[in-house]
Amino acid sequence: MRLLGTTTRSGSSGSPTGDERVPHADVTGRTPPCSLCNEPAVYRDRTTGRHFCRDHFIADVEGRVLSTIRSRNLIAPGDHVAIALSGGKDSTALLMILSRLLPTFDSVRLSAITIDEGIAGYREDTVRSADVLVARFNLPHLTVSFPELFGGTLDAFLKGREPEACSVCGILRRKALNVAAEQAGATKIATGHNLDDEAQSVFMNVLRGDLPRLLRDSGSDSQGRFIPRIKPLMFISEKEIAVYLMLHGAWADLPECPYAVHALRGEVRRMLATLESRHPGTMLNLMKSKAKIEAQCGGLLEDEAVHRCRECGDPCSGEICQLCTLKKTLR
Amino acid sequence: MKILLPDRSCRDAGPDPVTVDELLHDLGFDPVEVIVSRNGTLVSEDAVVGNNDEVRIIRIAHGG
Repeated sequence: MRLLGTTTRSGSSGSPTGDERVPHADVTGRTPPCSLCNEPAVYRDRTTGRHFCRDHFIADVEGRVLSTIRSRNLIAPGDHVAIALSGGKDSTALLMILSRLLPTFDSVRLSAITIDEGIAGYREDTVRSADVLVARFNLPHLTVSFPELFGGTLDAFLKGREPEACSVCGILRRKALNVAAEQAGATKIATGHNLDDEAQSVFMNVLRGDLPRLLRDSGSDSQGRFIPRIKPLMFISEKEIAVYLMLHGAWADLPECPYAVHALRGEVRRMLATLESRHPGTMLNLMKSKAKIEAQCGGLLEDEAVHRCRECGDPCSGEICQLCTLKKTLR
Repeated sequence: MKILLPDRSCRDAGPDPVTVDELLHDLGFDPVEVIVSRNGTLVSEDAVVGNNDEVRIIRIAHGG
């Protein structure tokens, strides 16, 4: 669904984004100007108070993603980056941004991988959206489904155990993404986790008292055991992603995952959104706290032994991996 | 002023100018969880709405 009207600017815009499409300007004196030019602002950064017009907002978001990639060495020359594309807003924005940034990288290839978990009334729409997007960007696209890999849909696996949905899905999706990325020949898997997701994870791991997970769940969390995962949007807020998509006419009013209501994450999300609203910068501060803890304690986990699962041979921390343990309980 | 809500319902409000922030507060929305357009254009939370504006409040969907 396209919500914003757009016009085409004639001639060269000289815009920082190089994109010719702009929203209808409504210069009435009721709109604060961009902090970098006199165009009407479409977004205010609540932490810094800075205003951005369309073009400077897009340039700011893309610049921060590039900065995250470079400062964390997320992408190396020669990489084949497989974008985990659900077709939802985060992975859509990730694909659009990485496609725009691609020329700045040396010999890097992009492709997309989609996991169809089999969630009725939800995943059909997002998979369709993913198909349209990869066709538009002309990217190689590989889709794998839970029935193909595990013999059933997520809906079927979760009958009677809905409150465990995110844990079950997380384990299965992790494996499915690895299988798909291996099939695609990828050297990195890029996921659309944003600042809100990351801040929620930090908070949840603290609430659970799970220091090892707090330290492991970082922007690149492979530990050399699997195809490395990268999170280029980890410092872009969910709201910024929504605005970015809106400004490109790429916002789609897709349904929410029906299992999200069961998750602790939902409660943490609401709590953090309220805190962020009252105390702008809260989510970023959580990430900074985590970075400080990582710097102090990260080395403590380095000596943890890596085993091979006795049943499937995948790397794991115990004798049997989470996936093989889970499979015994699936109907 | 006409206000289009995330549930697709519509509400009429008086013409007095208010900021988007004030409007969201009055309607019980958290500005972190929504974005707002005025007459089809995205606006920041300190923009002013009123008169005959058509204001759309879009909830940012989760779980993608």
